[in-house]
Amino acid sequence: MTTATPPRATPGGLALGFLTGGVIGGSLAAFIGGCIVGKASLVVTGLALPAAYGLLFFLGTLPRRARDRAAVPRTALAMIESREAVAGEATEVPVRFDLTVAPDDGPAYRVAIRQGVHLSELPDYRPRGIVVVEYEPERPWKVRIVTRPTPAWEERAADAHLDSAPGPAMTGDARKGCVGGVLTVLGLLFGAASVLLLSGADPFGPDASGAAPQPSGTVVSSTTTVTSSTTVTSATGTVALGAGRSMLDQGELRTAVESLTQDAENRRALTVVVQERLLTIVFAPAGGQVAGFDPRALPFDRVAALVEDAGTTLGTGSPQSWQLTADGLTGRLTLRVMVTGDRGAGSLEADGQGNVLRRNGS
Amino acid sequence: MGWHEWLVLWCAVWGAAALVGVGMSLAGLTKAQRTVRLTGRIERVRAPRHGGSRLGGISVVVSYRDPASGQEVTVTNDGERGEMITAAWEGREIGVSHPRGRPHAYRFSNAPEQPSRGLGRPAFALFLVYVGLVVLVAIDRGWPWALIGSGGPPAILGAVQLPWAVRVRNNRLDRLTAMETVPGRVVAVLKDISVDQDDGPITTITPVVSFTTHQGTAVTAHCTSHLPHPAGAYDRDVTVHYTAADPADFTLDRAAEHHSEKLAVAIHALAVALLAATAVAGAVLLRR
Repeated sequence: MTTATPPRATPGGLALGFLTGGVIGGSLAAFIGGCIVGKASLVVTGLALPAAYGLLFFLGTLPRRARDRAAVPRTALAMIESREAVAGEATEVPVRFDLTVAPDDGPAYRVAIRQGVHLSELPDYRPRGIVVVEYEPERPWKVRIVTRPTPAWEERAADAHLDSAPGPAMTGDARKGCVGGVLTVLGLLFGAASVLLLSGADPFGPDASGAAPQPSGTVVSSTTTVTSSTTVTSATGTVALGAGRSMLDQGELRTAVESLTQDAENRRALTVVVQERLLTIVFAPAGGQVAGFDPRALPFDRVAALVEDAGTTLGTGSPQSWQLTADGLTGRLTLRVMVTGDRGAGSLEADGQGNVLRRNGS
Repeated sequence: MGWHEWLVLWCAVWGAAALVGVGMSLAGLTKAQRTVRLTGRIERVRAPRHGGSRLGGISVVVSYRDPASGQEVTVTNDGERGEMITAAWEGREIGVSHPRGRPHAYRFSNAPEQPSRGLGRPAFALFLVYVGLVVLVAIDRGWPWALIGSGGPPAILGAVQLPWAVRVRNNRLDRLTAMETVPGRVVAVLKDISVDQDDGPITTITPVVSFTTHQGTAVTAHCTSHLPHPAGAYDRDVTVHYTAADPADFTLDRAAEHHSEKLAVAIHALAVALLAATAVAGAVLLRR
């Protein structure tokens, strides 16, 4: 007879429950939050995290599952000490059996199991009745009543008489209890909160509506995204850069403008507003007789120099924010750079080629 | 990443999965190739209990010869043992399979199985690659390609299989015509109630019919069609038409079977026509 003991809730098992809850909560939060705020990285995280965890879990449990598969169940006779059925609407009801199992090659032992039984078969399982069971020698608490035994075992069961084994009955239910459930829920909440906090995504914030951020006089963006988000409607187009990037970076403004005009080669703009991490283009109405200008014709290479020029020559002090506005309403493209500093604000005006026309200091 | 990149990634992942599956098949490592397939024989059929459960099928005792030890092994369909045995008689040959080295994990099939190369999953992965490619082409070159992609190849496949379906239908009609007729009786009506969270209790009624063929074979079988008011059919006399070569192929209503066979081929042809029309519509839209 084996001396194996039934499983109990272990710290490792509880930690695994917490981790599983964390992965579920984190991946769900990442996927849903990513979809709402339009962050591809979050969506990918939401898909990749459970896949990676599932793969690790699969690899980690390979040895145990191989052991389980290799375990050859043995057949034995058992006596029903008691049974307790839970009635319901379904015809198959869960029944808790208290059995005395009598292996051929070892002493009898008591075990409590749960097994579904069809209502019509319930009278077959009376207390003191003999049944045929299958059990795993390495895990004797894993017992299953054989409802369709072979003729040989059927005959043995019909002729058998067994004595009760002393209790208490071992049980195979690894009960984690309330602690396990609470830890899993805590893990779920922890995972969800961690993802939202680390990513900076606020699916319930103002960006959640999908509306384009409105241009403002200052460029103090609260977004921490590392990618850019693009919004194009029939009237406007907006590109918001993530943290660590600037419209003054080499090629950034040109790329942003092209991303808004790639679907309509001949689309003309009325106004282009550029800030540190935000580009907004107000498009001319389609088919209208408005002059406008081609936004791709802006002097991209001159923008950084103009902003630097405005920040250093207008006497506004240490520059805090800037905004470049390109207008073509009058038919002639005009660039206006406004800067604010600790000593005031000033503006600089340039033509379509980026040549400075006039300066207005503070 | 835009749609294009995502779709390329989709195709690459499933293409890689298909290649891995084919590689495993060539190396003989698929689950299907590691399965030992044997032929078992039903030694005993246990009478079903009126009001009992259909789950598990008809209770049978099966014996087969273990190729490793050469000994005769006797097993039953207790628990989850593969296909449900819904027609049984003593002496019927059925399939018994188990993973290599694990005879205790045996499973039944209603007929002895042929060896398989286990290419089902790679084929499904290839199908997913194809779906990705269709979407990719539809985005890159216009949505009519979606019509061509979803209608064209399936229509060709369906058209190729149509003669085979007609042949199968004709064989089936011949078998129906040649069926022998014997009296039978409903020996039990099985009742299972499961509870669905949304729909409430779902009741499944399965009459069990018993008949003896002209060759003296006593057949017990689930009979789920062409029996009016099945819940009250217990102990009812019925007329059973069966195929002499395979009593598992039986019916209580030959005319209805005739009709449904003809309908099946008509539905097949209609589906092919619809798919072809879809592809043609896509091609026409592309030309505009």
